Amino acid sequence: MWIGVWLAALGLVLGIALGLNLPFTVPQAYAKYMSVAALAAMDSVFGGIRAAMEEHYDNRIFITGFFSNALLAAGLAFFGERLGIDLYLAAVVAFGVRLFQNLAIIRRHLLKK
Amino acid sequence: MNKKSSYISIVLITMILGVMLAIQFRTNQYLDQGVTADRAQEMVAELSRLESDNRKFDRDIDDLTYKLEQARKGQTQARDAITDELEKAKMSAGLTSVTGPGIEVVLDNPDSTGIFIRDEYLLKIANELKGAGAEAISVNGQRLIATSEIRLAGSFININLDRTEPPFQILAIGNQEKLKSSLEISGGLVDYFRELGIAVKIQTPSSVTIPGYIKDLQYDYAKSVKG
Repeated sequence: MWIGVWLAALGLVLGIALGLNLPFTVPQAYAKYMSVAALAAMDSVFGGIRAAMEEHYDNRIFITGFFSNALLAAGLAFFGERLGIDLYLAAVVAFGVRLFQNLAIIRRHLLKK
Repeated sequence: MNKKSSYISIVLITMILGVMLAIQFRTNQYLDQGVTADRAQEMVAELSRLESDNRKFDRDIDDLTYKLEQARKGQTQARDAITDELEKAKMSAGLTSVTGPGIEVVLDNPDSTGIFIRDEYLLKIANELKGAGAEAISVNGQRLIATSEIRLAGSFININLDRTEPPFQILAIGNQEKLKSSLEISGGLVDYFRELGIAVKIQTPSSVTIPGYIKDLQYDYAKSVKG
């Protein structure tokens, strides 16, 4: 399990290093969707860590959850924009709450040891 | 094997997350420095507005340049007309030298007789020439204009306040036939002068040049009446 967590941290560091050096930024119009998608992706990763700590980590659920959450969040924000409703707020709130829940559960698992 | 692939996927997915976060971070940094999407749209709209204004002003410039050109042309024409008018006025006033077909009359004192040419004779000739349509007359190089006098002053005759002596050369521009016949008509001035014993010579050169009035024209009392 700890190998997975360390690998996750390693991947994150590599990704950030890569992203900071890419000669590429998101167009301003899409920055909002990208931010919601990033939040959803973050939630998925923390959810994965939590699952790993609860010993029922499933690779397929993790992968599909990661992509579907990110795309759904971005899609929601996109349609919200088209409909004139700030639906991305729903995504932010939902994924934000889940993020904190996951973090809290991870904390408890760490403290139990 | 299952474990290994799950590790790979964990690394890949967290890498994707890292890239997303980093890009988002950089995008927001860029946004803070730059302009928002709304502002950009506003500026694009303003740019297109300014460009259309610019085109309009370009057209205005063309239009005004054209008008200015027309006005300049008009001004040039007006100036030409005024210059033309001035030339005509100067010519009418006798300020310019003129040339053309005319007549030359020379009066000289007879040597023997005690008779001498009087101012009246010159006046009469000038008057006769004017009557015959002379356009310009000079006596001994003095142009006769509206204010010219021909006046006996001692033993001289003053013309334009200038002393002259015989022989008197009178030049006139006009219809040569008319001028000549007006003087040579029987019983006319030439006959009269010859009777008096004055030598009269009349020639009709095809080109006579009469100088303009060279002194200053001063109007101390007369003022032009407007309207």
